[in-house]
Amino acid sequence: MESHNLNFKELWSNQKVEQPALEEILLKIDNYKKKNIRKIIILNIFLAFLTIVILSIWYYFQPQLLTTKIGIVLIILAMFIFVISYNKNLSLLKKTNETESNQAYLKNLHKIKEKQIFLQTKILSIYFILLSLGLALYLYEFISRMSITGIILTYGITGVWILINWIYFRPRIIKKQQAQLNSIIRKLEGIQEQLKEN
Amino acid sequence: MVFEEVYKTYWEKIFRLCMGYTNDYDLSRDLAQDTFILVWQQLPNFRNESNIGTWIFRIATNNCLRQIEKQNRFPKGELPLNLQEEKEKSIEPKIQLLYKFIAELEEIDRIIISLELENINQKEIAGIVGLSESNIRVKIHRIKKKLTENFLEYGIT
Repeated sequence: MESHNLNFKELWSNQKVEQPALEEILLKIDNYKKKNIRKIIILNIFLAFLTIVILSIWYYFQPQLLTTKIGIVLIILAMFIFVISYNKNLSLLKKTNETESNQAYLKNLHKIKEKQIFLQTKILSIYFILLSLGLALYLYEFISRMSITGIILTYGITGVWILINWIYFRPRIIKKQQAQLNSIIRKLEGIQEQLKEN
Repeated sequence: MVFEEVYKTYWEKIFRLCMGYTNDYDLSRDLAQDTFILVWQQLPNFRNESNIGTWIFRIATNNCLRQIEKQNRFPKGELPLNLQEEKEKSIEPKIQLLYKFIAELEEIDRIIISLELENINQKEIAGIVGLSESNIRVKIHRIKKKLTENFLEYGIT
């Protein structure tokens, strides 16, 4: 057994690899920093742009009815929730602490994955509900000035579009995200099983 | 400790660890690089109360474990290509076999044996993995037995 032991260690350390120049890794680190900053900037620009668009609608069209205003607020809320939850997802991932033991790290990762499932499915549904409701309320003021056929047509088309999203796209997105996360969770559990003291 | 120093001292060790985990040359290089990006990020938080080696190996092994998230994104079909390349890069077939056998073990066993072959003492391995020392000892014994058997099957003793 001992001779094998020695053998293994010798073989192991004979796997040669050229160490990349320090500059190469420093460049990677630099790119990584830039990428992170870019992400934050893009997100902030997007949120600012969104707010400006919605506020200018409010300002230029001067809605009379309360329903329109509530509608606008709901739509903004839906979009903010979506963007913020997407960010929360990112920040959740940052909460992993790589300097813990494997045991603790996997436990933490497991918890995070379960939180992600919650975030992704619940938030997506909340987003759809708020957006549909907001849109329906928002349209009400403009539609109320239309003829009956106009009302039926506008609400009809909007309604069908929302239904397609709710019945067709939403479950598909959720299913796809969940399948991915569940497969990761299963693998995590498999590895955690290996860590049980015997 | 300065980053450059850490990088020079640990790069090869971390690469071999990743190689034991994946048996994929290019992937191991990427994983080792990711590890050092993490090391660079975490270095200001490192307190001298723990051994820097243990600290770095924890980061590296956790980063390897993180692969379970990424494997979904890489179609398995790409693997043979990489293996082909590895054959060209590594000269000694026995070394190739050793890494191949290790990468076929269960994830935690891959980590434990890689650390053991890297001459990390069992107490430290226990601290990296999060298992008791006695458990690590038993596992190392079993893994080595399994590896010996694997080599025997190939007619190598």
